[in-house]
Amino acid sequence: MESSALARFEAVVLPHLDAAYTLARYLMRNASDADDVVQDACLRALKYFDGFRGEAGTSARAWLLTIVRNTAHTWRERHRPEALAVEFDEREHSEAIAERDPEAKETLGRALERLAPEFREVIVLRELQGLSYKEIGDVTGVPVGTVMSRLSRARARLQEALREEEVR
Amino acid sequence: MSHPNFEAQLDAYLDGELTAGDVRTLETHLAQCVECTRFRDRRLELRAAIVAGIPTFQAPPALRDRIRAAARTGSALETKRAPRRFTMRTLWRPLALAASLAVVAIGGWSLALQHVAGEALADNVLASHVRSLMPGHLTDVLSSDQHTVKPWFNGRLDYSPSVYDFAGRGYPLLGGRLDYVGGRPVAALVYGRRQHVINVFVWPATSGPTDGSNKRDRQGYHMLHWTTPDYTYWVVSDLGLAELQDFAQLLRQADSIR
Repeated sequence: MESSALARFEAVVLPHLDAAYTLARYLMRNASDADDVVQDACLRALKYFDGFRGEAGTSARAWLLTIVRNTAHTWRERHRPEALAVEFDEREHSEAIAERDPEAKETLGRALERLAPEFREVIVLRELQGLSYKEIGDVTGVPVGTVMSRLSRARARLQEALREEEVR
Repeated sequence: MSHPNFEAQLDAYLDGELTAGDVRTLETHLAQCVECTRFRDRRLELRAAIVAGIPTFQAPPALRDRIRAAARTGSALETKRAPRRFTMRTLWRPLALAASLAVVAIGGWSLALQHVAGEALADNVLASHVRSLMPGHLTDVLSSDQHTVKPWFNGRLDYSPSVYDFAGRGYPLLGGRLDYVGGRPVAALVYGRRQHVINVFVWPATSGPTDGSNKRDRQGYHMLHWTTPDYTYWVVSDLGLAELQDFAQLLRQADSIR
């Protein structure tokens, strides 16, 4: 890679590495898979970086998250066809959650884990990454109208799941 | 009665994604529909729960290094990857790091508190903001209704701060809190913006009004400060500066036409 392109990659893409890793953690539901997915995604990002010019409306963050999301899906199909059935690694998640609110780990972590992947994905993109509806649509490949209804349903499910966790 | 369209619209409204025309239609509906108002309040509670409870993660330093190295060489990444199985060792490293950062943060605090008097107030405000983010400290009165939050301060303070809700602009009111800043009890109003918390501290002005707002950056937080003829305002958040200034502008506007 040329040094100017390298500098641009480091300045434009790498600041979003934590966001990429957070998304991968929630999609893969364990740290080592997330690690691999982000590494693969960044390799792809490097490869296609020349094609990314930062056109109007395409933020580098949304661009990188799109690649992470697609990589995660491919990765799950290829390496872990059983991944969807794999139990949530609660030990691992609860450690991270415990740093913020010991009580919330009991409810929110599990409630989020119970959501279908398409719902978990929009919650993470909106609530943790702060993406606009347009950007979420770009990342997940659906129209803005679908983002709006999916996010609304995802929140309704999360509320239900939270209520059920609380009465447990 | 069920309003499936209004539910998605209300979410879009709270997310600041509705057009001005739709905002008006929806606010008209909200004013007369108890069910939708209740729906909105439940969503605001969910939002507060998410802010308090869902963690974000930091990319492990080793991963960052590998990616940087790959960019440098332009070739395939070194194939040395994290061990497949989760081990206590990999868990402890980030925890140990977090612990050492916490020590640095606390150390930083005691230094910061020795600053000159003018800066002491900013430190004070920031400390209150940070404390408010700890579980269970954010609000004394949890309500998105300005007409609930404002009267709550009656009898608790010797002044009555103006309370506005900017949900239509994507900054919903989450509640209020009594705080202690600069040697006096003050009103703290809490707003949300996606996963970010904004604290607004208000107390009666003791100096003349300022033209613009004063900006400070501390420990990753932005602070905006201004004085009107009546009140001194401090606004603190980890929100991006542009959005925080947008919020401050809304607040100043609302206050100037009060």
